[in-house]
Amino acid sequence: MFDTVIIGENVHVIAQAVSTAIRERDAKVIQDLAKAQAEAGADYIDLNVGPMKKDPEENIQWLVSTVQEVADLPLSIDTMNPVAMEAGLKACQKRPLLNSASGKADSKEQMLPLARKYNCDVVISVMTDKGMPPDVESKVESIIDTVTYANELGIPNEDIWVDPIILPVSTAGEGQRFAVACLEFMKILEDVLPGVKSTVGLSNISNGVPGELRPLLNRTYLVMLEKNKLYSAIADPLDKELMSLTRGEIPEIVELIHKTIDGEDIDLSVLPQRELEYVKTAKVLMGETLYSDAWLES
Amino acid sequence: MEYKAPVEAYTGVVREVTIGKGRKSLKIGGENILPLHFFDQGSNPNPVKYALEVLDMEPQDWPEHLIQPFKDVLGDSVRWAKKCQELGADAVFLRLVSTDPAVKDSSADGAAAMAKRVAGAINIPLIIYGSGDDKKDAEVLPKVAEACDGMNLLIGPVQKENYEKVGKALLDHGHNASALSPLDINLLKELNVKLCKFFPAEKIVIDPESATVGYGMEYAFSLMERVKQIGIITKDNMTMMPIIADLGGECWKTKQAKENKEQGLLWEGITALSLLLAGANIIILRHPESINLVKETIEGELWQK
Repeated sequence: MFDTVIIGENVHVIAQAVSTAIRERDAKVIQDLAKAQAEAGADYIDLNVGPMKKDPEENIQWLVSTVQEVADLPLSIDTMNPVAMEAGLKACQKRPLLNSASGKADSKEQMLPLARKYNCDVVISVMTDKGMPPDVESKVESIIDTVTYANELGIPNEDIWVDPIILPVSTAGEGQRFAVACLEFMKILEDVLPGVKSTVGLSNISNGVPGELRPLLNRTYLVMLEKNKLYSAIADPLDKELMSLTRGEIPEIVELIHKTIDGEDIDLSVLPQRELEYVKTAKVLMGETLYSDAWLES
Repeated sequence: MEYKAPVEAYTGVVREVTIGKGRKSLKIGGENILPLHFFDQGSNPNPVKYALEVLDMEPQDWPEHLIQPFKDVLGDSVRWAKKCQELGADAVFLRLVSTDPAVKDSSADGAAAMAKRVAGAINIPLIIYGSGDDKKDAEVLPKVAEACDGMNLLIGPVQKENYEKVGKALLDHGHNASALSPLDINLLKELNVKLCKFFPAEKIVIDPESATVGYGMEYAFSLMERVKQIGIITKDNMTMMPIIADLGGECWKTKQAKENKEQGLLWEGITALSLLLAGANIIILRHPESINLVKETIEGELWQK
């Protein structure tokens, strides 16, 4: 159906196990995570190493080769540190994804040239030195600037994966507005910058929400973004229902979410529990119902 | 061509909550129009109400100009409450501040007896708040509810931490609940959703938490405004409740209000005026002259339509 490119998010230094494994060179922990994601159907594996202040080159090289030993997938090198980024890109056997560059001055100077040098795909976010553009207009304005700059460096639109930056929907007062802005942005991106691809940090939509409720937000929002032609998502491939949804294996849920977005009348009283929850969640994410942690209960 | 101003009509209606019984009752809420949008279609059947605050102990940090109107009655909550009635308040707001473990930690039974005496002594409706300490309130408020059984008072604050216990007592003894959350619309809605699982929505008043001029009032204003808009415009079932603005205590804490009378009245009056513009349905004040100040400013008529 949509077959969104899924970039597996689970090798992430915020996870204590991952950060310890890198420090102690415990290949098994990393390889298990990589294998599990590959088997679950991930298209890329993201290696999120954060700022990587200590021994950036040695660490990222070890991580890349450790993962490549067990997974035959392209990698997404996810760091703010340009030294680690270059070492990571260099070590990749398949064409990697540089994750990420932005409109910030230092990113333009240090990250974008690396994408050119290694001829790889590159995530470019809407972030600038002024911060996070909150609405559709400012997101569009900033991304046009940065993509134009990248084009001038010789990076074609086809290699650029635009990231509108997803923020938690639960942020008091503003989260829902941001969620709606990203949906709108995705809808018009193709017209604004023909040929570019797109990506999002999907799980951030549910940050701060009680753990057991997070997957439902992630899954619903993915379907909503896909309706607006999302190309790829950094997400959890170990969430089976999420993968089934994006592979088109649960068309009735996808259709229901689409109907909700399109404002069609849906008789909630006849819906089974799971379907009802998807409709309620879509209404929260499209800003129709005010968010609360108890959104499924009312 | 003649200009015709657009007229909006809304779908949401704020639930009308009655506080008290019979002649000792008042109504708040019931509007299907945004505050001050008298040019739109709809009406507000219940103009904003003003309650004066009474404490269950002698005030500790009140400036002379706030003590003045009550100076003979401050040691006696019953006489104090009667004085508020004489001074023209629509309701008395009794705060059981002495029950706070950090103040006197006075007993729940004592507080309940006091609440009952005050309720019996006045001919206007009574609102009762605990100290705000959620654990102690979970002991105090059920006793208060029981002592005032069947009087249909407004009792609070019901909070996330104690809504089950306090809410059940209010339900059993026939009272309204004032549901308090800390300046956050998502938390406010969540509390209402949870409370409504066993408590009737038409007996809930929202306390979104108030703040005063110079001390974050913008947050309280935006929040109340949003609660009203989401209720009236998008018809969210869980925000279509009247709003209480418990602002007097916040105002009189400030050094500006304490400095002199004129400044104090303005501090309280301007905060009140602002929050009722944002959508508050009942306002809690400390100084009787502030009521007149606010009433004169809005002249009443705007709220009668």
